[in-house]
Amino acid sequence: MSKTAAMDARARCLGAGAAAGLCATWLTVARADPIRLRGDALLQTEGGGSPTGLVVLQGEDAMQPWISAEGLVWAGATPSATGDVLVLSVRLREPHGYAQVQLGRFVLATGAVHPVQIDGAHAIARAPWGSTIETFGGVPVVPQFGSRTYDWMAGGRVAEVVANTATVGVSYVQRREGGEISDEEVGSDLAVAPVRWFDLAGFAAYDVTNPGLAEARASAAAKVADWRVELFASQISPGRLLPATSLFSVLGDFPSETAGATVRWRAAPRLDLLVSGAGQDLAGGLGGNGFVRASLKLDDRGDGNLGLEFRRVDVPGSQWTGVRGVAALPLGGGFRYSNEIEIVAPDYPDGRGVAWPWALEALSWRSRDGWDVGAALEASSSPLHRYEADALMRVSYALGKP
Amino acid sequence: MRALTLLMMLALSLAACASVLGIRPQAPSHPFEHRAHILKGINCLECHRGVGLAKDTGPLHFPSDAECVRCHRKPHDERPCQGCHGEPYVRDAAELARTHLRFEHSRHMVAAEGDCVRCHVEVTEARPDSVLPKMATCFGCHEHRDQWTLRDCNGCHVDLEAEGTMPDDHLVHDGDWLREHGTRAASARDLCASCHTERQCASCHGEGTVPALPWKLALGNDMRLSDLHPAGFAARHSLEARADPGLCTTCHTESSCIDCHTREGVAPGSTTTSPHPPGWLTPAGGDHGLQARIDPVSCAGCHGGAGEQLCVGCHRVGGPGGNPHGPGFNSRQDEHHDMPCRLCHGVGR
Repeated sequence: MSKTAAMDARARCLGAGAAAGLCATWLTVARADPIRLRGDALLQTEGGGSPTGLVVLQGEDAMQPWISAEGLVWAGATPSATGDVLVLSVRLREPHGYAQVQLGRFVLATGAVHPVQIDGAHAIARAPWGSTIETFGGVPVVPQFGSRTYDWMAGGRVAEVVANTATVGVSYVQRREGGEISDEEVGSDLAVAPVRWFDLAGFAAYDVTNPGLAEARASAAAKVADWRVELFASQISPGRLLPATSLFSVLGDFPSETAGATVRWRAAPRLDLLVSGAGQDLAGGLGGNGFVRASLKLDDRGDGNLGLEFRRVDVPGSQWTGVRGVAALPLGGGFRYSNEIEIVAPDYPDGRGVAWPWALEALSWRSRDGWDVGAALEASSSPLHRYEADALMRVSYALGKP
Repeated sequence: MRALTLLMMLALSLAACASVLGIRPQAPSHPFEHRAHILKGINCLECHRGVGLAKDTGPLHFPSDAECVRCHRKPHDERPCQGCHGEPYVRDAAELARTHLRFEHSRHMVAAEGDCVRCHVEVTEARPDSVLPKMATCFGCHEHRDQWTLRDCNGCHVDLEAEGTMPDDHLVHDGDWLREHGTRAASARDLCASCHTERQCASCHGEGTVPALPWKLALGNDMRLSDLHPAGFAARHSLEARADPGLCTTCHTESSCIDCHTREGVAPGSTTTSPHPPGWLTPAGGDHGLQARIDPVSCAGCHGGAGEQLCVGCHRVGGPGGNPHGPGFNSRQDEHHDMPCRLCHGVGR
C-alpha cells in the first residue's frame, strides 16, 4: 500500500471510528428495552486501490405486538457507491395473525415469486382453517439512490392448508419496465410434512411471456436419530430468469438440471459430517459436484470449532478441486482468534496459476456491554492478482440484540 | 516396555479424542447429575424450591449451595457446587427462556400433577443436551393448530426475532441449508419472518446489494463452512457461475457484475484483461454463442442494457451473425414493437 493510500486509510479509519463513536453516543441515549440498535464501522484495504470504509446503522422496534419497524442504512466510501438504504419497513399485524401489512422497502418473496427488493406494500389475510391470500405491489428498488424510471410490479398468492399436513399455493406476478412487460409468471408451491421425521417442499415458476418452465425446485428430507438424508432436484432455464426485455432472453431454452442427495451424520455429540453430491445436465454436457464437510465443536456450547471441507466441481467449463479449513478458538476475556484457509486448484489453469490459495487470520474482542472489535489480515493469490494482502477492521456497538 | 508406552499413548489419545468429540465430558464443568438424583427418588421440588408456585417472572429457582449441603453434608470441595455440577450454557438457556417465553410453572404443575419429568423428559438421560422441554413436548398437550396456521407465535414467545435461538425439533435448519432454504421457504415465507428480520433477507437478496456487513468482516465471530461466497470466492466466481447457470440472479442484478468488472478492468470499454477464453469470438463464430445459450445471465452481467448493441451489430435481421434464436425459443412479444425484439426486427430493419 502506498504512503498516500495508507494516510487515506488512516483518515477513513479515524472518520469511521468517529462515526461509530457518535453512533454509540446516540445509541446510549436511545436505550429502551424493545428497541434494538447496532452501529458498525468497517474498514478494508483493497490491494492497490482505495480502501473502503463503511458505517452501517441498523435497528428495529417491536414495542407493541401489532407493530414493528426495522431499518438498515449504510454510508461510506466504496469504489462505486456512497450509500444506500437496504431496509426501511413497518409491519402492522392484527394481534391474532388474521391480517398483516408490510410497507416500505423490503425483500418480497413468496411462493414461486423470485425474491425482489421493492418499495411497496405486501398484505396477507389468513383464515383459521388454513386459507391465505396475499397481494403485493410496488416499485423495484433502484440501488444506490439511482434515478428512478418508476417501473412497477404486482401480484399475489393464494394458499390452502390441506389435512393439516400440506400447504399448497398458487402465485402470479407481473413486472413492467418502461411500460413493457419484463416478467410475467405463474407459479405453484407445495410443502408436505405428513410425519415428524419426513418433509417435502418444492415450487415451480412458469414464464408466461416466453412460455416455458423458468424454474422448479424440490427437496425431500428424512431425519432419523443421528442421520438426516435429503434428496433434491432442480431445473432452471437461465434465459427465462432474465427480464423479457433483455436481448439475452431470446437465445432459446437451454435448461440446466440437477439432482442429488445430502447426508448429515452426527458422528459424535460434537462432530457433524456432511456429504453432498449432485449430477448435473447443463446444456453443454453432463457433470457433477459434491463436497464432504466435517464440523467439530470444541466445547458443548460451540464457542470454539474446527471445520474441514473438500469440494469437487466437474461440469463443462468449470472443473476444480478445493480444500478449506476453518478454526475458531475462544481465548478468554472476550477475545477470540479465528482463521480460515482455502486452496483451489483448477483442472485447466490456462495461465492463471495452478492453485489459488486464500487465507484470513482474525482476532476479535467482544465486551459484555455491546462493543465488538475485530481486525484481520487477508492474503490470496488469484487469477487476477498474483499476490494480494489486505487489512480489515470492524468496530461495532449493539444496544439490545439486533 | 515399548508396548506399554504405546498402549498408554493410545489410551491417552483415545481419552483426548473422546473428550474433544463430546463423548466424555470435559472437566471441570459437566451436566448436573439429574438422573442420579431421580433414581434416588428425590423430588425435584426439594432442590428447586418454590418453582411449583413460580409465575411468568421472577427468579429461576436454581438450587444454591445451601440446598446441596442439606444432603451432601461433607462437600468434597470448597468451591461453589455450580462451578462444576451443571454447565453454564444450561443456565444461560434457562435465562433466555425466562426472557422470551410466556410460561408459568404454577399453572403447569397442576395439569402435570406435580410430575416434572412429564415435560422435562431429558433429565432422565445421562448426558442431556438441554433440560428444557422441546417444543414438541408442549405440542403434546397444547395443539396450537390455529396459532400455527395464523403464524401467531406471540401467545408463548416474546420477541422471537431477538431470541436468536435455533429451533430444536421443528423447522430444523439442517444439512446444506444455504441451498435448501429457498425451496423450503417458498410455502412459508411468512413463517420464516417469525424469527428472521428483513435485514437478514436483504443482506443477500437486496437489489444490486453491496452487502452491508460482508461475511469477512464478521471477523471470526461466527466462522462457518456454510457461509455464502466463502473464502476466496472472488478468485473462483466465474467457475462457480458456470457450474450453476442462472443461480447468481437469485440475489444479484446485472449491475453487480459490471461495477466490479469495470473496477478491475475486465469490462467492455475499460478492457485491459479479457475474461473470455481464446476462441471466444472468431470469424466463424467461436464459442460465444454456445456459452451465451448455456448462461445468458452471465453475458447480461456485462453486456446488458446499452451493451446489447454489441450483439445487435452482428445478429440483427440480415446481419452477418445469423439467427441467434436457439431451440426452444418461444415468445408472445410483438417482434416489431416490443423490447428486445424491435432492436433487430424493428420497423425498417
